[in-house]
Amino acid sequence: MKRVKKGAFALSSLLVALSLVTAGCGGNGNNEGANKQPANNAQGNASAEKTLDPYEVVMVYPDGKQNDLGSVQTAMNDYLKTTYPALNISVKLNPIDWSAYADKTNLMMSSGQKFDLIWTANWMNFDAQVNKGGLLPLDDLLAKYGQDIEAVEGQFHDGAKRSGKIYGVHVHQELGNPQGIALSKALVDKYNLDLSGLKSGEFKDLTPILKTIKDNEPSITPAVGPAFPLNAYYGSGSTANIVGPVGLDLRDTDPNNTYKIVNTYETPRYMELAKLTREWFKAGYINKDATTPGIDVWKKFQAGTAFAAIGSDLDILAGTAIGEAQLMPSKTGSVGSDIVQVPLNIDRLQTTKLAATMQGISQTSKDPERAMMLLNLFYRDQKLLTLFNFGVEGTHYVLKDGQIALPEGKSQETIGFYHDVMWQIGNQMLNYTRVGEDPNKYKNYEEFNKKVANNPSPILGFVFDSEPVKNELIAISKVQSTFDPGLQSGQLDPEVEVPKLLEKLKAAGIDKIIAEAQKQLDAWRAENGK
Amino acid sequence: MKNSNRTNPFIILFFIVVSLASLLPFWLILMVSLTGQNALVKYGYSFWPKDFDLAAYRFLWHDAEPILRAYGVSIVVTVVGTIVSLFVTSALAYTLSRSEFPFRGALSFYVLFTMLFGGGLLPWYLVYTKFLHLQDTLPALIIPGLLGGFNVFIMRTYFTTSIPPSLVDSAQIDGANEYRTYFSIVLPLSLPVLATIGLFVIVSYWNDWFTSLVFISNDRLYNLQYFLYNTLMNAQYLQAVASKAHIDSTSDRILPLEQLQMAMAMIAVLPVAMVFPFLQKYFVKGLTVGAVKG
Repeated sequence: MKRVKKGAFALSSLLVALSLVTAGCGGNGNNEGANKQPANNAQGNASAEKTLDPYEVVMVYPDGKQNDLGSVQTAMNDYLKTTYPALNISVKLNPIDWSAYADKTNLMMSSGQKFDLIWTANWMNFDAQVNKGGLLPLDDLLAKYGQDIEAVEGQFHDGAKRSGKIYGVHVHQELGNPQGIALSKALVDKYNLDLSGLKSGEFKDLTPILKTIKDNEPSITPAVGPAFPLNAYYGSGSTANIVGPVGLDLRDTDPNNTYKIVNTYETPRYMELAKLTREWFKAGYINKDATTPGIDVWKKFQAGTAFAAIGSDLDILAGTAIGEAQLMPSKTGSVGSDIVQVPLNIDRLQTTKLAATMQGISQTSKDPERAMMLLNLFYRDQKLLTLFNFGVEGTHYVLKDGQIALPEGKSQETIGFYHDVMWQIGNQMLNYTRVGEDPNKYKNYEEFNKKVANNPSPILGFVFDSEPVKNELIAISKVQSTFDPGLQSGQLDPEVEVPKLLEKLKAAGIDKIIAEAQKQLDAWRAENGK
Repeated sequence: MKNSNRTNPFIILFFIVVSLASLLPFWLILMVSLTGQNALVKYGYSFWPKDFDLAAYRFLWHDAEPILRAYGVSIVVTVVGTIVSLFVTSALAYTLSRSEFPFRGALSFYVLFTMLFGGGLLPWYLVYTKFLHLQDTLPALIIPGLLGGFNVFIMRTYFTTSIPPSLVDSAQIDGANEYRTYFSIVLPLSLPVLATIGLFVIVSYWNDWFTSLVFISNDRLYNLQYFLYNTLMNAQYLQAVASKAHIDSTSDRILPLEQLQMAMAMIAVLPVAMVFPFLQKYFVKGLTVGAVKG
């Protein structure tokens, strides 16, 4: 027995050592193999196929289960056949559950499975897909077959550019959001609260309002988390975020510092908001369970135990402006009582936003040109877009005064098709609105987009390559995750804890990230003449 | 004797604490699943809810069909998988335990090799989809879990240490061939190890959601764990999507309530918790991988 064990130990340690070596090799080998094969395929086909044989475009996107998917697909194909016979395209809808989307698309790409259009996003492996060679560069295809895409999205390709080439087509949608506070209207009216002070766009002017609620309504939490001022800080006009806590301080008015990359925890703005949050916490304005994961702010409104949600994304309405109090239609409906929103910040146009939802074309596509032709249709053909988003008229929806409604006696659960994820493809501005939504929703988007597009981030178009500092980023996110919840909910004293946080970030290598980001940014500026 | 008497209360106390630590979470889950929505928002989780409500279970009852089907898939996969797995594992282990078997060393090494090296996700996926074309079939859920190197070694050790070689010899002298020896002598004597490995395999089949995630697209073939995982993750994703991408979140899909998740967890855990007492008598004797145990 003893001898066997000794032998086994020696053997297993040898094997472990071997496994480390082979694992390294195996990984590289796989990637190369996966890269080469589809690339050849695609090239061969692009040059060979000029006549328009029938082609089935497989569309991959995340969605829940739809019982009646087949009839929608048939309707889309009938429509394509009768309206665009010259293109000779049919579609195959291949939705994948949200929960499996990242894994399955990864496997489909690596195993060379044939599909054409794929929904992708910068928070859903877009960069990994580009690096692996899973997506085709689209510049030539866009120039040839993407006229309608170019008409609406032409100036917004920056988010999808990697090493100068476009790898994704951004969905035409809102370019940013307002952030601020949402308040229970009943309580605002009851205490005749004056919201005009919020025109300043500062969270601190909310303090007296929260105090009134705290003093008079013992059973109500004045401010519910997890979205607090500090949380809103990154999505706000305060910083242009690059990676992790590294970015530009947009409040720094010194023109020499416009492109100076800083640790955003070090900015005066961060400390100011952290202190304010701490003050609120000490005064008892903030819910005690703010740091518990999965807290749903809106359920608290529903239960009548919340007065204000702070730092959350707000609706885009006609006349959305900082400090302008308006009824918030989306939450008023779901919460069941009136909610008022007051924007305190409006997003600037950021590179990341332009990559937040895109369509790409897979390397495994047998006919990328036809995939692009179909994609282009989604930017100009309202009927096709409506089929994809809402299904078949009369079966899955009916039009009531130009808005989408469920047919008589049907519910979301029984309807068979309730895709309703408009931001996955095409030109959103062509979409119908649902009954209950503002019929002018998309007009408001257009108006809002002008505002956002006129206020771009100074580094719009800059994409950070995080590869050289991958390890540091992991170390830093660990440090962040130990401090952030406490600071964001005011449970930690920022004057004591922020210096500790900064020290730990230094130890984790934040200076290296800043230096790398500055290097890349300077190179980008030289290249783009900024 | 004296000594053991004195330490007894502590041991008892220790086990009371351990038992509570394992039972209380279940109790909490059960109670949360029975709490009304508003009470949950107001008071949070509690061990004795202020407001009992069967809404979550009513909802599940209403939506029973896919859940029952997922149950069915899980049960079929677990039962078939466990039986076949026990057969395959014990057959291999028995072969490895026989010193007469010529390729014993090489085969042992091969099994050990699989414990230390995995092919990785991609080759694994390619074998099942490109070569065997098993995607969207029940075998895709069963085959990947059939044989584990570790289980083989546990069994082999049991066979070599607990079944005297002379017994096998005498059976063969009496005219039993290898199959007869294996089925009539070795297996009946190995119930403890079969029960133990069986429980390992049952639990791993029952808890497996990843194989479903990779191979199954047809929702009629979702097993229970994946069905639950899917429901939960889809809801989480829709919430995360709205905040992460700053995307239009105005559509109000009905997201599963917390109680519902807890009720689902209760439903998922019950069958496997009920299997354990039936196998428990085999665990009294216990198992050994290496050292001598009497």
